[in-house]
Amino acid sequence: MSAFAAIGKSARRVEGREKVTGTATYVADVHPRGAACARLVLSPYAHARIKSVELSAALQVPGVIAAFSGKDIGGAEILAIDEVYFAGEAVAVVVGETEAAAEDGADAVQVDYEPLPVVSDPIAAMKPDSPLTRAAQGESHDDAGAHGAAVGGAGTGRPKPRNVNQMVEFQRGDLAKGFAEADVVLEDTYRVARVHQGYMETQGSVAERAPGGGFTVWTTTQAAFGARDETAKFLGIPAHEVNVIPTQVGGGFGGKFVLVEPLAAALARRVRRPVRVILDRTQDFLVSHPAPGAVIRMKMGAKKDGTLTALEAELVFDAGCAPGAPTGIAALLLGGTYRCPNLDIVGYEVLTHKVSPGAYRAPGAPQAYYALESHMSRLADQLGLDPIEFRLKNAAKEGDIRPDGRPWPRIGLIECLEAARAHPMWRDRKKLGADEGVGVAVGGWGGGTEPATGGCRVNPDGSLTVQVGSVDITGVNTTFALIAAEVFGLPVEQVQIATNDTDHAPYAGASGGSKTTYTVGAAVLAAAQEARSQVIEMAADRLEAAPSDLDIADGRVFVKGAPNRGVTIGELARLANRFGSRYKPLHGQGRAAVHTASPGFAVQLCQTKVDRGSGMPRITGYVAVQDVGRALNPAEVIGQIRGGAVQGIGRALFEAMEHDEGGQLANATLADYTMPTAADIPDIEVVLIEVPSELGPFGAKGVGEPPAVPGAAAVVNAVEAAVGVRVKNVPIKPEVILDALEEGGKR
Amino acid sequence: MKAPAFDYEAPATLEEALGLLQARADDAKVLAGGQSLMPMLNMRLARPALIVDINRLPGLDYIRIAGGQLQVGALARHTAVASHPEVKKGWPVLAEAAAQIGHDAIRNRGTLAGSLAHSDPTAEHPAVLAALDGEVVVRSAKGERTLKADDFFLGYLTTALQPDELLTEVRFPALAPRTGSTFVEFAPRVGDFAVVGVAAAVTLGGDGSWQDVRLALTGVGGTPFRARQAESALKGKKPTAADIQAAAAQVAEAIEPDSDIKASARYRRHLARTLSERALTTAAERAAGQGGR
Ligand SMILES: Cc1cc2nc3c(=O)[nH]c(=O)nc-3n(C[C@H](O)[C@H](O)[C@H](O)COP(=O)(O)OP(=O)(O)OC[C@H]3O[C@@H](n4cnc5c(N)ncnc54)[C@H](O)[C@@H]3O)c2cc1C
Repeated sequence: MSAFAAIGKSARRVEGREKVTGTATYVADVHPRGAACARLVLSPYAHARIKSVELSAALQVPGVIAAFSGKDIGGAEILAIDEVYFAGEAVAVVVGETEAAAEDGADAVQVDYEPLPVVSDPIAAMKPDSPLTRAAQGESHDDAGAHGAAVGGAGTGRPKPRNVNQMVEFQRGDLAKGFAEADVVLEDTYRVARVHQGYMETQGSVAERAPGGGFTVWTTTQAAFGARDETAKFLGIPAHEVNVIPTQVGGGFGGKFVLVEPLAAALARRVRRPVRVILDRTQDFLVSHPAPGAVIRMKMGAKKDGTLTALEAELVFDAGCAPGAPTGIAALLLGGTYRCPNLDIVGYEVLTHKVSPGAYRAPGAPQAYYALESHMSRLADQLGLDPIEFRLKNAAKEGDIRPDGRPWPRIGLIECLEAARAHPMWRDRKKLGADEGVGVAVGGWGGGTEPATGGCRVNPDGSLTVQVGSVDITGVNTTFALIAAEVFGLPVEQVQIATNDTDHAPYAGASGGSKTTYTVGAAVLAAAQEARSQVIEMAADRLEAAPSDLDIADGRVFVKGAPNRGVTIGELARLANRFGSRYKPLHGQGRAAVHTASPGFAVQLCQTKVDRGSGMPRITGYVAVQDVGRALNPAEVIGQIRGGAVQGIGRALFEAMEHDEGGQLANATLADYTMPTAADIPDIEVVLIEVPSELGPFGAKGVGEPPAVPGAAAVVNAVEAAVGVRVKNVPIKPEVILDALEEGGKR
Repeated sequence: MKAPAFDYEAPATLEEALGLLQARADDAKVLAGGQSLMPMLNMRLARPALIVDINRLPGLDYIRIAGGQLQVGALARHTAVASHPEVKKGWPVLAEAAAQIGHDAIRNRGTLAGSLAHSDPTAEHPAVLAALDGEVVVRSAKGERTLKADDFFLGYLTTALQPDELLTEVRFPALAPRTGSTFVEFAPRVGDFAVVGVAAAVTLGGDGSWQDVRLALTGVGGTPFRARQAESALKGKKPTAADIQAAAAQVAEAIEPDSDIKASARYRRHLARTLSERALTTAAERAAGQGGR
């Protein structure tokens, strides 16, 4: 496996040029002839009955074409009809000739609300006297499920508190015995804020009635087929009557599955014109599905030598107004990363009056690992053990049983920890100056799977066109090009990737859950291999040689041992694509249903210096170690890891969607919802570990989610190493550090 | 994210601009760099019927020294102020404040005059104007007046500017010899508005004692806070760390900050103390460095 031609060498993004030159088409760039613009009217109340929606004033506004209430459009999942369940829920929509006219019209819509009791904090919602949220439905809309991760857990008859939709439980061994055996027992509660994916491009869709009936929908989505199906379902028409054209995605991170596609199509149907629904930043903050906040109580016991004896945890996920929080995944990872004979984990999915969360890079994992890894470092401290040695002693490896009873496959957790231990940042951490320290944390992700197809066409110019139905949000198209190039021994520039619309694309699931390279890549590999066999077969006929005697190099098929006898791939394609040809066109189809995931682990080291004047930790160095199976395109993999690390740092230091008691989002702008910028982040050094997957193409594992997981705990553990202050809630409020420093008299 | 409809005028002369403001005083707004006004329009927090764009007024982007005094025209951008050699040399506190505003793109458009007219409670420049005893020149069709910080800043986003008035120039008196000055602030992210910021200018006498101390804070109330008590407590003494700490503690006690989404009142007090200490220390060091005679 060592001598690859294309794999493992950094390649430029196939769509890089169009992006940096500003010619890439994003959804807001789509202006069908005669398109109108829509603007949502959002509820200012987190919980209220809609008494009336008065649209007449809006219809008087110059440039307004139409206005609709939820009742007019039908389908409460898109516009509320009788009751609103979160502040920002859409109650009406105005269509205008321009965005400005639509906004003027939206300002003129009069909605009469009867405010109802609100509960916005999940812990308060679980109290017996809390106001009731939307009746717990039990069914999950679960974009995290679309991430393909396994959830589960069996009930043990614990009572279900108020407003809890779903509970997951994992138990093993004898918890009391485990704690009795422990020399050190540590218990504490950690809070992780609700955060937004913070993609650069806001959400939006443009819809138009298609000439032959049905609808064309341009949209920024990670899931073209999912968007097609949901739109058709809402319109009550067969799926094939909707054609979704996925545009370039300006960042998705799990947040872009289906949002305004059905509305755009419904409006196009009603006003008989193309309609653009492009959200502005504030509306996007209010209506899209962010990552849930969580409150996690941890209790762990360990022996003096560092052996874990018991783990008890209670996870409360704030599911907002609809089920779908990734409680199960979180519980599974929290209880499965380290070997522990006795455990009891319970997860509660609690409904509140907020928008329901969706997926965000490794749904559930950053919350779980924040609590777990904070606790692990503190336990190590109490035991007087090195935090990495303590983790190594307990780290799960192949064959260890996860809380759901299934064994781990081959994973690279131990290799990552060893690499972190060997890194100079870790080795030299005691030599740092005052108020500086290094923290470590682990993060993992189970990986996802979903069947996929791909096509590989051989062109008369000797190039290949790879056809996929998956959306490129991370550079996967470049990886597909590398895979096909590898199979044919062609330079990567000779491979073109066609991300097709749903009328033309081979099926692929959503690009999410770190499964696109892993599964669509496998389909592309199979397609390219089939196309290669066809090329060999045809060349064998032309060259009158046995297929097994042929090889391909530099775009030419030749007889091994007699390189002069050959024919170029382009010639073959020209011969096949010809009037009256006796050869079948050269076109490989690949299908894959990889249904066993390859989990990926990451370990990150954060070096921080705490400013005693403000309490603010500044990140002074960062190392991200990750087992990627095999880095097919190292530049891309490194980019993914850096981006993930930045998002983890964001969770640690800056990001929180702040709701007041009335359920209002107080920071629905990018001025107030603060994400780190390049100026706040040091160079992030990436260390790639390659423990090949047996199933992924060329050994690849999904790399997208794991790097976004460890950051919060790594930063917080670094703060403790720097100034001895333990932060329990993220994002860190520097004020809290300052108070602790003053109390500790360490000034 | 689209502004409500408004009329737009871009007058070519100051007289024309003042005439428009006089005629439409009820519903007109001046547009300078637009770095505060445009977001407010787009978020529909401001709904003026007329925008008077002053960017085409000729000759208003000057930064000049006249009789030792620094004069900055209404269209001088933050970048120009921050990078001007004479400003850096003679009024380092002003250059440092300008350099800490937002990011390059904002500094390239936003103006010093606009910052003062807008009077954001955490903006840098109002504190600099207060600390340096600067003044603003304000003109209307009826005439001209000059105002000092105490009379100009009235409250949260509120100044003494009348709707028909244009702020045409900002003036800073020369700093005395052996004066050190600086601007320090805390913002969680690089480029954010400060949570608290401190402008300091101190002059050391021939014997090395504090001859003049000027200290003003932003982010601790609706208007910049001039810490006069702390200033006078230091005057006449020789700079010592203990005195600086005591003065900084006094500042923290004297202010009455509010809590908001960015910071609690308690935290602002704390920052006022630590940043005052830093600013005074740096300013005193710089003053001493200028010969220390
Ligand atoms: C992302 C971002 C970050 C920022 N960070 C900071 C920061 O850290 N610190 C900071 O201080 N500011 C910050 N700003 C604001 C910036 O400094 C603005 O430049 C400044 O507040 C206003 O100046 P302007 O020239 O842009 O004025 P405009 O936005 O054009 O006008 C602002 C207000 O002042 C009035 N006005 C402007 N000029 C005059 C005049 N000559 N006479 C009468 N009235 C006038 C306008 O009518 C309007 O009401 C930031 C802005 C952005 C967008």
